[in-house]
Amino acid sequence: MITQEKVDSYIKKIPPAPQTLKQTLLLLQQGELTKAATKAKEDLALASYLIELVNKPLFGFRNEVTDISQIFGILGLEGSQQAVYNYMISLLSPSQWKFFHLTKNSFYDLQAELTTKYTKILTHLNIKDPDIQNAIALLPASIIVAEALFCEKLEDVALLRSVNEIDLNTILTRLCGMDLFDICQRIGEKWNMSEKSMEIIQCASGIKPSKDEEINKVGKWMHLLLFYTLSQPTYINAGLNDFIDFHIDFVENIYADFAQLMEIQ
Amino acid sequence: MRAVIKNGIGVFHPQGFLDGNSSIALLSIDDIEATLKSNADMILVSLQKVIFFNRNGLDTFVKMFHKIRKTSHIIVGFCDYDRKKYDAICKFYKDDLNFSLFKTQDIANLFSSSYKNQAKNVLLFSEDKSQRAAFAIELHDNGHNPIVAQTHQEFLEKSKNASAYDVILCDSYLGQIGQQVATRVTGNAIIYTLPSFLDAEIGNTFNIAYHNNSLNVGFRLFIFDAYKVVSMNVHALNFFSKLASAAAEYNATICFVGMTFEKTPTAFKETLEDSGIMFFEQMNDILENKELLEELGASSAATTKNKRPLNKMIVSELANFIDATVATIEMMTNAQAIKEAAKVDTIVIGEKENKIASSIGFYGDIDGMVILVFPLDIAKKSCELLIGEDTNDLELILDTLAELVNIVGGKIKTLLSDEKVNVNITLPRTYKDIDSLLEIAQGKKGVQVDLAFDNDKFLFFLTR
Repeated sequence: MITQEKVDSYIKKIPPAPQTLKQTLLLLQQGELTKAATKAKEDLALASYLIELVNKPLFGFRNEVTDISQIFGILGLEGSQQAVYNYMISLLSPSQWKFFHLTKNSFYDLQAELTTKYTKILTHLNIKDPDIQNAIALLPASIIVAEALFCEKLEDVALLRSVNEIDLNTILTRLCGMDLFDICQRIGEKWNMSEKSMEIIQCASGIKPSKDEEINKVGKWMHLLLFYTLSQPTYINAGLNDFIDFHIDFVENIYADFAQLMEIQ
Repeated sequence: MRAVIKNGIGVFHPQGFLDGNSSIALLSIDDIEATLKSNADMILVSLQKVIFFNRNGLDTFVKMFHKIRKTSHIIVGFCDYDRKKYDAICKFYKDDLNFSLFKTQDIANLFSSSYKNQAKNVLLFSEDKSQRAAFAIELHDNGHNPIVAQTHQEFLEKSKNASAYDVILCDSYLGQIGQQVATRVTGNAIIYTLPSFLDAEIGNTFNIAYHNNSLNVGFRLFIFDAYKVVSMNVHALNFFSKLASAAAEYNATICFVGMTFEKTPTAFKETLEDSGIMFFEQMNDILENKELLEELGASSAATTKNKRPLNKMIVSELANFIDATVATIEMMTNAQAIKEAAKVDTIVIGEKENKIASSIGFYGDIDGMVILVFPLDIAKKSCELLIGEDTNDLELILDTLAELVNIVGGKIKTLLSDEKVNVNITLPRTYKDIDSLLEIAQGKKGVQVDLAFDNDKFLFFLTR
């Protein structure tokens, strides 16, 4: 079925971040919002992605926002970085989803929802570290990787799951000794993301707690956020709810706080 | 989402947040159809990985439970939850909890046919007395050894020695199997719960056949829990007036509890009182007042209305009735039963001292009533399994006996349905002495079978 070689060959195929993107990110990391906007305009696909993102109902603007400088201004430094990372991830997304019942739009919605809620969480936790802020971009990447790996083996995976209650992540680990979060890490490495970002993603799996207290805390919130988002009908229908295993014990102590922040009745 | 079926038990494993929207997405019509066709002997929904749920979220699964129960009488319910979730489910489905709740899947396994006769030692406790009894009976029936804690204190003490038990059963609930009427029984009173608005619809929703058979079996006190009632119209008024008149023929009493007349004309109350219905503010005004309870529930005269002859169909099913009774009592006492004599006549009870009795009615394709007369000692012995220890508390013995007779009724129902004879059973009625039994049964013709368990005489009487 899926072998370690297959995973490796898939990761090899992931293109490095294009030059314009790298420069935009670098400028954003330096705090140069205006210069970054000018650079971003050069990549028409990035510009169109950003316009589509900011004009989602989630942001609630009455009039369409089309100017990239204005968009970066709205998103702020951290938000702009996250958006550019999200764009990088979306470059990987398949033209047609086969395994997960997603569309280009529903995937972008997922990215936007995770990012906005994650920002809300970090504000609540009073965390301003850009490495932590950027980490969320890697989560949707794991979904793309899973899609690519499983879409050729649709029936086999379905059969395997019908005989036992196993999540896809476990199937992957058993088959190639690497779980989705490990794969995320490999993608992060390829795109020169920080160690901290990748450690948070590993921690958000719910099975690899970090020794760093702050990373552990963010990992818990991210794990719960992932399930909060994946419990929406669109993503349940897409087959994402049972994508990874939910570790209720891991997040139990932050649930009350989370419910209050997300206004869960 | 499909249930994963293992050893005949199908389990759904939702995860994350369960609300009205997400649960509909989780459970499609196809999933429900597949579950119905699965031939599993138990369907459960595990809440282990659900961090949040609301009533709407659970309702989708509960509707599936109802669909399953319509086609087969397998156990359905939720499992794998903590105390907080258990309390929430009990609160959501307070008056409508007709599915089961098992704290863990290990507990649920005890009730599955795939795990029969494993002789597990099970410490069990439920605050609800009839639940304790139901669990004990089902466990025993499945070949396990239930150890019943009668109080929470006793449960805590016993559970300290956890290694002595294979499974500790608490925070669980056994949904009623086969019981269609939303009624509860306390002592010898039947309690019906009324909906918010009483109109012509009450004639359709109230199970009159069940009620009439309860009268026939000898229930004399019917309490309508009317706390939720907002208003009543003239059609409902007529219905209850007629019900009261019919009850009067049996010397039965009908009470309304908790009914307010803010949005119902007070003249209705007078009309209902004229037809014999009594009004109480609180349920405890009746239930806590033993003297009143006895006075209202006591039958002051024999029923003359229902001296119906036995028919051929009932007599042809006699073997089933006796088999069900003997199997249950043998199971509860661990003693062999010997049939001594059988005759068709009016009931004859030689020695009246130290005997108690219980009866249960059945109706449907055939109707009638089974009366069991126990010497107090054999009753105590039969109930020991359920109570957990030797006791002389007559009230407790009578209540437990009622549960035992309920099991007999359930078995009769199952045996008859195997022969395509469909019946429903009433709740059991108990009699603390033979005189009170004879008020109901005197003069009725029936089949009397004398049985002996280890030389203890025991009487079975089948009548209409």
